[in-house]
Formats: sequence, structure tokens, C-alpha cells
Amino acid sequence: MSTQAPRIVSDLACGFCGLGCDDLEVAVMFREVRPRRACPEAARLLRRGPGQPAAPRVGGREVPLVEAASAAAAHLKASRAAAFSGLGADVAGLRGLADLAVSFGASLDHAASEGLFRNLDTLQRVGWVACTLAELRNRCDVLVVVGADPTGLYSRFFERAVPAPRTDGTGPLFLPQGRTIVFLGHGPEAATRNLLAGQDVREVPVPDGLLAEALAALGAFVAGRSLADLGGAFAGALGEALQEVAGLLKAARYGVLTWNAATLQSGEAGLVVGRAADIVATLNATTRAAVFPLGGRDNGLGAHQVMLWRFGYPLRTLVGGGEARHAPGLYATAAALKDADLLLHTSAFRPDPPPAFDRGPVIALAHPETEFAREPEVFIPVGTPGVDHGGQVFRMDGVVCLPLEGLRDAGLASVAQAAAAILQAGRAA
Amino acid sequence: MRVRVSGGRVFDPASGLVDVVRDVVIEDGRVVADDPTLPSHQVHDARGCVVMAGGIDLHSHIAGGKVNLARLLMTNDRAAFPEPFGDFCGCGGGQAAPTTHLTGCRYSQMGYTAVFEPAVVGANARHAHLEMADIPNIDTGGFLVLGNDDALLRLIAQGEGQGAVNDYVAWMLRATQCCAIKIVNPGGISAFKFNGRSLDLDEQGPFYGLTPRRILTTLQRAVTELGVPHPIHLHGCNLGIPGNIATTLATIGATDGFPLHLTHVQFHSYGTAGDRKFSSGAAELAAAVNANPHISVDVGQVVFGQTVTASADLMAQYRNHGIADPKKWIGMDIECDAACGVVPFAYRDKSFVNALQWAIGLELFLLIEDPWRVFLTTDHPNGAPFTSYPHLIRLLMDRDFRNAQLARLHKAARAHTNLESLTREYTLEEIAIVTRAAPARTLGLKDRGHLAPGAVGDVVLYEDGADREAMFSAPRLVLKDGREIVRNGEVVALVEGRTFAVKPDYDPLMDKRMDRWFDEAIGLKAKHFRIAEGEIRNGHGPSCVECAP
Ligand code: SF4
Repeated sequence: MSTQAPRIVSDLACGFCGLGCDDLEVAVMFREVRPRRACPEAARLLRRGPGQPAAPRVGGREVPLVEAASAAAAHLKASRAAAFSGLGADVAGLRGLADLAVSFGASLDHAASEGLFRNLDTLQRVGWVACTLAELRNRCDVLVVVGADPTGLYSRFFERAVPAPRTDGTGPLFLPQGRTIVFLGHGPEAATRNLLAGQDVREVPVPDGLLAEALAALGAFVAGRSLADLGGAFAGALGEALQEVAGLLKAARYGVLTWNAATLQSGEAGLVVGRAADIVATLNATTRAAVFPLGGRDNGLGAHQVMLWRFGYPLRTLVGGGEARHAPGLYATAAALKDADLLLHTSAFRPDPPPAFDRGPVIALAHPETEFAREPEVFIPVGTPGVDHGGQVFRMDGVVCLPLEGLRDAGLASVAQAAAAILQAGRAA
Repeated sequence: MRVRVSGGRVFDPASGLVDVVRDVVIEDGRVVADDPTLPSHQVHDARGCVVMAGGIDLHSHIAGGKVNLARLLMTNDRAAFPEPFGDFCGCGGGQAAPTTHLTGCRYSQMGYTAVFEPAVVGANARHAHLEMADIPNIDTGGFLVLGNDDALLRLIAQGEGQGAVNDYVAWMLRATQCCAIKIVNPGGISAFKFNGRSLDLDEQGPFYGLTPRRILTTLQRAVTELGVPHPIHLHGCNLGIPGNIATTLATIGATDGFPLHLTHVQFHSYGTAGDRKFSSGAAELAAAVNANPHISVDVGQVVFGQTVTASADLMAQYRNHGIADPKKWIGMDIECDAACGVVPFAYRDKSFVNALQWAIGLELFLLIEDPWRVFLTTDHPNGAPFTSYPHLIRLLMDRDFRNAQLARLHKAARAHTNLESLTREYTLEEIAIVTRAAPARTLGLKDRGHLAPGAVGDVVLYEDGADREAMFSAPRLVLKDGREIVRNGEVVALVEGRTFAVKPDYDPLMDKRMDRWFDEAIGLKAKHFRIAEGEIRNGHGPSCVECAP
């Protein structure tokens, strides 16, 4: 029994939800990792026991990595329509997966891209004015949270994005008067309310299914129309409240609208995003405003960026045969799997199993603790960036890219190493 | 391994060799003195060819967040220019905002071997470097955008003194692994965040009360005192505004003898004469450049066609977003650091303004006398995609061709330019200067831009021909570090490039200050902002450009 004290590692960056906190702390003892400072989600995903992680398997049989890699390469070679799903990997891992796609042919999509594409519908079609986290933190005097309280998925969002003004001069740079936070949709959860105590918090409850309508009205008020102009559709408390929010935004020096497109109701998500961007465009004619879309779990923004610089298209693109073809309708994972004859699933940040698939072999470059509904043809357990190896991940604003640190050596390959091994096996065969 | 390039006409103005038939010998990637007694392992026949050092582009937006936003907006352009390389590469396309692989391939196909991204925003520097690491066949480097960063503006406004500014600039250069300082619209990007819509050279900006002049001269002094080879690379105030020639001339007057590089001056040389209140200020600017040997410029030539404009100058891009073509645009305020604005645009020869912009660029090229102080750029992709360089070279070298193009322009625009009367034609020597020798010199790249012993083995063979566009589009041979990467205009190999950085010294106290600044203001750890050497070029680390304080 060792009496060695655990190694305390602090100021760690976090790659899980996309918010990019970088003040985490853990205790490390051999293979064991115990979180000391982390949100509940990060704590759960950082924690590691002292045991030996799973080994690669082919058809359920434990094999060395090279053997698993050649099995994967053989399947990929035989495949005519491979779908790469998950893409939960650091930038190096994503580059490796892109190499595999070029070499064997595959469509690519990220597990958390649904919200991203709801945003891209507006961003690619008309564009918008956005800001990054530090601008929000230092400049935003009116924040409108559209939809649900994001705390459930991004537990430290309010702590990091809208800290209260402080008297000692160490708080936000440009907010002597403090700020107003409006919850448009579902009100804040209790924890959020506590956290924001002392700041000016307003609630404008909007029933599900009416959010897009409410934003249309808000947009109309921001554009200078009145309740009377709207023909009574928004007469009553909601209309008045929206008119007040419009007034706040117009008087704001830097208003920000934030939402999580993934949690908006699918029927109205596109409209909500489009109208929010529209409101910001109207505001910018006279004052300053920006959007701050939430998202980007498991380096989803990194996957978006790598796709753009490598292939010139966003995710949901088919690569192979010397060309790339972007068709979101065809190559979103769910759609791609209907025609695919192979699934390669990557999830390095969390033990999320591959989507259901029975049309061909499954290759999983996955978290060692993944529980599979059916044993994949090839399973290569991979390390988690920020636990098992260093790496780089993008924050949700898509601008800041953070370095993650390796904490332990449990003998796990990184996604980049696994992809390189498969590529090499494919070339050798 | 000795490689001999034999019997070509060498144009190496930096070494004083112009149109001299001689061999260039490369040993283990570097040019060496010719020793005919030693055997060559490889001989490239260069008879009938013009031989130059690898081309260097010191201002081309090739990597980072705004380029990716441009790609996002330009997927139609991407689809219109599909992968040219088939099995060989298979992961590139686009023209206005090409992918990383295509960027490297296209540049090397034209004989360029080093290209500099002139607007790296500190907060996005890691991203920019990740992209650069993915660009094959060319060396790269980034210019760090300062001059609107709250940390700096606060330092200056609080009167911390030049020493503190110098330490800060050095800290930032090291942290971001960049090789020069760029200022974009000094104070103007910051002003726009406070809802300022314009900021002239001597106007006080909001909040900090600093004038662009003060920001500019403070940073000029900083890079001079730190010994960063390239002077401040300035995208000045009032980009694109008719009448901005006055500001540009005043900016030259503000430099106090400190060297200054004015970038994409075509966009900063507009007068207000004529019934359309838009005229050429090229003659005035050229006169000022000719009279001030401490000023250098790159042109930012406009070439007609579809492109996308990508700039850190959100103030200017907001002003322009109404003329976006196609009608969409993206703006972003970035991390107390800078901003970006991406606006698709199509330059049309039948538009008065666009036609005159085209003419103004060429007037500048032809009126500025010293080729060592003017560099060939289109401000890719803002004036045109970099792939139009061979066309631009022909416009400069071939007066008949130029005048034939001019004849097709918007009529009123023709009446507003004296381009037709300009008889100058660039010589091959001058082309070698503006595309190689001069950019290498200003960037402090001692082993580039020439072919003397010690130079890196980046050598280009162009088959001499009357059609200069054809000649410069498809070199017979391009060697990178002595290795063949392009033959007859086709890429035949992919090699990894390097990334240049400077490492000026600073007082270690700045580490503590920056730790505090990042903790309190940015909400990020300074140590995570800082980019490690191992993060550059897939673990190879940067190539250091020496500073001479
Ligand atoms: S909020 Fe997100 S980024 Fe922050 S510690 Fe939790 S999971 Fe990590």
C-alpha cells in the first residue's frame, strides 16, 4: 500500500459542456482522479477509479491496439457508405477522423450538432452579430435569456458570463450601473435565482410553443411599433412585458440575447433563432447588441471549425473519392444511418454509446466505460482529453480554443492515435 | 544531398544579381556556394527559365476564425471551385475562402513559399495556429492585432509609461507566437463596442479618451524599442471612406520618423473630387510615400469578381454590410481584444466605385517609385483572391494589356483616372523585389527572399514568356527546402511548412500583471491564453525571427 500523497493539479481547463471553465482542480493518485473543484457535470466526467481501463476488443475478444486498428481498417475498406458519428474528440482527434474520412470515404456529424444546425440556418443564410464570453462579461448591461434557464446544461454559465459588479474594481470593466437579466420563456431555476441575487432579474414567462411569437412581438416593439400596431394579438400582460423588454434593449448600451437552440422546441427553434438575430440587427442601427448562442458540448464547435478549414463545409458532409459534398438533410447522423453500411462512433469525453445501428459493422472509438447495447465489431477504448492526455478544444463562442492537460497515464490511446493506427493499418493492407 | 538548378537567368536583386545566368546549388535544404568539383545528386535544367527565390506574401488572410466564418458564408463559392487534386489530396476547394490544403497548394503552384496571416486576434491565436499547421507547402506567420485591446488601452490611458507598454507587447507576442504587430483601425474597433461609428486620427475615443494617433505612436515606439523587425503593420482609420486620403496623409505625418507599414493602401487613398464625390488619391499618397523613406505599403489591389471581405475592423464592416453580395454578413466582438466582420462582396467592372478602386490600386503600384517599399497584395480575399496574382503581375508588366483592361471599365471611372497615361511597366527585377526580396527584408527573414549562400532552398523556375500571367501562373519547377513540390504548375508533393515567431524580452513582472488581468477581466487563465511552442506546427515549434532591440 502506497503512502504517497495525491498530486493536486489546479487551474485545469474543461472540455465538457463548451463553456470552457479553466479553474478546475483535481487530486491524482496513479490512475485515480478525484475532482476537487468542478461543477457536478465536470466532476462526474473527470472522476476515474484506480482500476485498469478496458482493452481494445474485436468481436468481444480483447486484442492489442494494432489488431483492433487493422480490423477497423478492414471494415472501413469493405464499406461503401460509412457514417462517422459522435465526433467527441479534441482537435487532433478530429483531424485524425478527417484523415480517415478522406482515405476511406465517410459522412461526418457530431453528436451535439442539432442545436448548431438550428443556428446555422440563420447564421449561414443571413448572418448575425455575436460576441464572446469576455465581452458578455464586461460589457453586457441587458442580457435576455431566451427559452429555458441554461444552468441545467451549463451550470456555471451565469457565474462566468454575468458576474455582479464589484466595488473593489475587480469586477466587470464597463458596468458601473450593474446589469439587467431578463428570463424570456421559463423563469430561472432556484439556484440561478440565488446566484443572481442582488442583480436586476426580470421574468417574462412565455408558454411553450409561443416563444417564436413572443420574439416576433419583441422584434416589432424594438423596431418601434406599438401594442396598438400589433392589432391586439399581444394585448395583456405578456405584450406589456415584451414592450418593456424592448425598451430595456433599446436603452441598453450593449444588449445580448442568448439561447440554447438544442433545447428550443423543434417546431419553433429556427424562427426563434432568426428573430433573435433580427432583433440584434435592428438594435445595432442605433446602439450595440449581440447574440451569444449556447452550445458546443464535447468540442462540437471544434468539429465545426475543423470541418470548415479542412473541407470548406460545415458538419453533415460526405467526404471521399477526392471530393466533399455538403447535404445536411442527407448526412445528419440519423439520416446517414438509414443508408450507411458502417458506423464509426467517437466519444472520448463521456461514455455515450453509439446510436442504434444494425445495417453493418460498428467501430467504436469510445470512452472505456461505455456500455454498449450490442457489442461493437471493433471497440477501441480511447482516453479523455483533459484526463488521459493533453489536447485542444473550442469554447462555445467558437473563438477561444483552450489547452487541456493530461492527468494520468492509463495506457489509453487518444482518438488521434487510434485514427492514425487505423489509417496506417489501412495503408499497409 | 546536392541539388543543382542549372543554366537559368537568376533574378536575385537582394544579392545584386539581376538577369545573370548562373547555377543555384542547394545542399541539405540551403543554398550553398557553387563548387563545380562536387557532384550533384539532382540537376534541374533551368535553361529558358527565370530563376527567383520563393515568393513571399506578407498580407493574406489565410487562417483563423474570420477565415472560417468566410468559408461558412461562401459555401456556394466552395461548391463552384471543387477539389482539383482528386486522389492526390482530396480535401480542398473554394476560391474566395479556400480550405487550408488548397491554400497551401495554390500558393505553391504560383511559386510562393511563405505567406503571412496579417490579423491574428490574441483570443483566437490558437485557432489560427491550428489552421496554419494544416497548410502544406508554405511557411506561415501571424501578425498579432493590437491597438483595440482593453488591456493596452487601459495601460496607456492610466499613463503607465512606455516601458509597461513594451513589456505588454512583448508578453503578447510571445504568448500568441506571432511575428509582428498589426493595428487595425486604432481605437476604432474599441469605439464601435461603445457605439462609436467613426474615429478619426485625432479624435478621442470613448471610455479611454485616447486618440488613434496616440495608440499608433505608442505601439510604433514599442516595436522599435523591442527590435521587432517588421514595423507596425497599420490598417488605418476610415477604411473605405471617400476623403480618407487626408487621414492617410496625416497618419504618415504622425509617424515621427518611426518606420511604418501602411497596409492595403488602395482602400485608404480616396478623395472626394468629382460629381460622384469619389476620386483617386493615389498621386498624393504616392508622393508622400516617395518623400518618406521610412514608409512602406502594400496595395490591396482590387480584381473584379466574387470575393468575401474579412476584417477585424467591425466598425468599417458594419458600415459596409448593406452592400453585401450575396446579402448576408457576420460580425463579432471578440474577447476585449478586437472584433471581426465578414461581408461577401462582388467587385464589378461596370461599377463606378469598383472600377475606380481597381485603377487606384494600379496607380499606386505605378506611381510609388521605390519597389523595395511597395508589396504586391490583394489583401486576400478582401480585394480579390490571391489566385489573381499572376493576372495582377501582367497588369503591372504589360501596359498594352493594362490599357485594354482599362478600356472595358465603367466610362466615368476611366475619366477619373490617369492610368492610361502611366507608361511604367514593371521589370522582372521589380517583380522579384515586390514579391520576394522586399517582403523578406521588412519581415526580418534573413534567409529568405534571396538566393545567396545560406538562403533557404526555396527556388522557383518560371519559363520566360511574353504572357506574364501564364508565366507566373504555372512555374516549371518549385523547390521548397531543395525539394521538388511543384512541376509544370502541378503540385507533386506535400511538405510541412514552418511558422515564424518573434521572442522579444520583457520584465517578468508582466507575467503577474497578466495573470491578474486575465483572472479579473477576461475570466480565463493567462496560462491558457498562452500558446506553448509544442502547439506550433504539429509539435515542431516555431522558427524564431531575431529581434534587434
Ligand atoms: S460548466 Fe461546463 S466547462 Fe464549466 S466546469 Fe462544468 S462542464 Fe466544465
